Amino acid sequence: MSLRNPGAADAAQPVTAIPYRAAPARASRTGRRRPSMAPYLFSAPAIILYVIFMLIPLAYAVWISFTAYRLEGGGILGTKVQVFVGLENYFSVFSNSELLVSFGRMAVYGVIAVPLTLGLALLFALLLDVPAVRAKTFSRTAIFVPYAVPGIVAALMWGFMYLPATSPFSYITQAIGLGPIPFLNNPGLYGSLANIAIWGGTGFNMIIIYTSLRGIPAELYESARLDGASELQIALQIKVPLVRAALTLTAIFALIGTLQLYAEPTTLQPLTTTITSTWAPLMTIYQQAFATDDLPGAAAGSTVLALGTVIVSAVVLWISNRRTAASAR
Amino acid sequence: MRKRSLMGFAAVAVLAVALSGCAAGDGASASDKTVSLKIWGWTAKTQQVVDTWNKTHPSVQVKYTDAGGGNDSAAKLRTATRAGNAPDIALVEYQTLPSLVTAGVASDITKYTKGIQDKFTEGTWAQTTFDGKVYGIPQDVGPMAFTYRQDLFQKYGFGAPKTWDEFASDARVIHEADPGAYIASMPPTEFGSWAGLATQAGATWWSVKDGKWTVGIADEASLKVADFFQKLSDDGVILTEPLLTPQYDKSLNDGKILSWPSAVWAPGVLASVTPGTAGKWAMAPLPAWKAGETTVPFQGGSALVVTKNSKHPQQAAEFAAWYNASKAGLEGMINKQALYPAAIAGQKLASSQKPPALMPQQTDFYKLAATISKTAKPITWGPDVDVASTTFTDRLSKAINNHTAWRDAFTATQKAVVADMKKNGFKVTNK
Repeated sequence: MSLRNPGAADAAQPVTAIPYRAAPARASRTGRRRPSMAPYLFSAPAIILYVIFMLIPLAYAVWISFTAYRLEGGGILGTKVQVFVGLENYFSVFSNSELLVSFGRMAVYGVIAVPLTLGLALLFALLLDVPAVRAKTFSRTAIFVPYAVPGIVAALMWGFMYLPATSPFSYITQAIGLGPIPFLNNPGLYGSLANIAIWGGTGFNMIIIYTSLRGIPAELYESARLDGASELQIALQIKVPLVRAALTLTAIFALIGTLQLYAEPTTLQPLTTTITSTWAPLMTIYQQAFATDDLPGAAAGSTVLALGTVIVSAVVLWISNRRTAASAR
Repeated sequence: MRKRSLMGFAAVAVLAVALSGCAAGDGASASDKTVSLKIWGWTAKTQQVVDTWNKTHPSVQVKYTDAGGGNDSAAKLRTATRAGNAPDIALVEYQTLPSLVTAGVASDITKYTKGIQDKFTEGTWAQTTFDGKVYGIPQDVGPMAFTYRQDLFQKYGFGAPKTWDEFASDARVIHEADPGAYIASMPPTEFGSWAGLATQAGATWWSVKDGKWTVGIADEASLKVADFFQKLSDDGVILTEPLLTPQYDKSLNDGKILSWPSAVWAPGVLASVTPGTAGKWAMAPLPAWKAGETTVPFQGGSALVVTKNSKHPQQAAEFAAWYNASKAGLEGMINKQALYPAAIAGQKLASSQKPPALMPQQTDFYKLAATISKTAKPITWGPDVDVASTTFTDRLSKAINNHTAWRDAFTATQKAVVADMKKNGFKVTNK
């Protein structure tokens, strides 16, 4: 069904770019070739919302990042006013050693969380796709359910399981005389945080990969079987290459998720002194915006982080596209 | 044709919906004669006290909103002020008040508070006065005190420690007798408590003279406090884990953490996490650094401010004065909210109250609180306490986890605070 050209017969005026706001007025005009307003009308809600809630705040954040609150007026306290300071906040971002170290911590976390999440998701998806496997719906749901648990709730729940006094794992190790497991101390903390993300994210990524697997025509498997391929060979040499697009997508999601690391460490922070207020980059940004009244600094940090995210995503896409192109040749 | 006009309508409708989000707000202004005020706070049962006011003051109606605890509320107040829609009155903690003055949240209410200053002790009133200008009316105060498990202390053969040296020797005795038990946890997350202990020892974290600030977070007295508690922690006789976590609460309930050196509000907090141990606790004056010294600083507490956004500052100030200094307001604060009032009359009123639920046997609780409060001295808080507290907590946490010197955390905080104040344009005498 196409709504592109509802009344082509009595249409007249050729239409070039029409601003969406003018759409209703123009649509009622008649001419030789009928311009189609429909695409603009249908995309208008999305575009309007995107402009209001995405582009305008984004531009505002960038503007704020070039300003700072500075003291004005006499007295010992005075009043802070917003002044233009150019790139000063950006210099602060790049000279903030705490922030740079926090990127390092995030990287360690990512190196643990991303491959394990994707690896497990692919493994589960492939297992569910093997014809002989039973209880597929149940297993699929069971693996997916943690994703339905809100991140904060998951982090709280795991927090209880990490604290020596309430942890069932530490209870067992203490009972056999080994003492509590140092879940919340370095270096175990990285694994503990990654575990929450893996637990919550594997199901979601598995569904994406699994859906992609279901889209592969069955004839391919038949011919492979006729050629004498085992299920393992089919999985590794047919299925995995054919779901590369889905793998790329999940990899980008996982990377962006890593760059946005915030909920887990923030929720666990009150439970341990190992997690400082600047443990992850987003925590620093939050700290600046809402605790130390440095909104401009937070805006600069956010801009840098957003640009970094775009670059990382672009690089992953570029590598993946090159490999696809190379294998097609 | 019909289809198209429908689509046009749809587009307009979407635009309208999208834009209405921005236009909402204002409207519903009260009738000409009634003034309506908004107040933000977070303490329990504020609504009931506000209701009392509304009943007796038909021409000034107040609407209460719980805006979340001290830090959340301060962040919201700054944002709302910059957007021009802050409430008329807000509850703020003494330690965030200076930063809210510089952020343009709190207004100068000196001319409205002439008559009520003598209802407060000098030390209490000083917490809301800067450069001779009054920016708030004190609501509650927290003179520092020592809340401890009387039964267990007695079991080990001692009462509440009178000095910190006694505290240290008690800590060793307790831990030796029961390796799972500790006298207290002194975590890096309790910035206010550390500021109080250092002040008690003689440090002045912030001070003002001739229009210039002096920062003394790394004063010799602070560093001595750091060394003192590091020694106890290194010897493993005190804990440094955060307070009021599931872990901490369990230790309290199991009788493995025996005291909380903090302030007179501690019993209320402890009662909610360890109700089963009620009757076994008692409150005593905070241990002193030198035997015989009784002066302690305030820890915590808050004041009502009138915002610069308020269109009715006079009525707002009247309400704040009624809440914090009138008999009706103080009765509500004591009986309904269980706060320890800042006003002298309120503290007198409180002394006839029953002791807190955590220590029903300690009938002189409020008399003791009033005695401590009489000589308690205020801490002058600087305009960037938030920078100080985050830096301090992060640095002290690192020092504890990496087994480096705790005093370095105080020095690092001093540096960060001075740098931040200079960057923001304050006059600072420190180099």
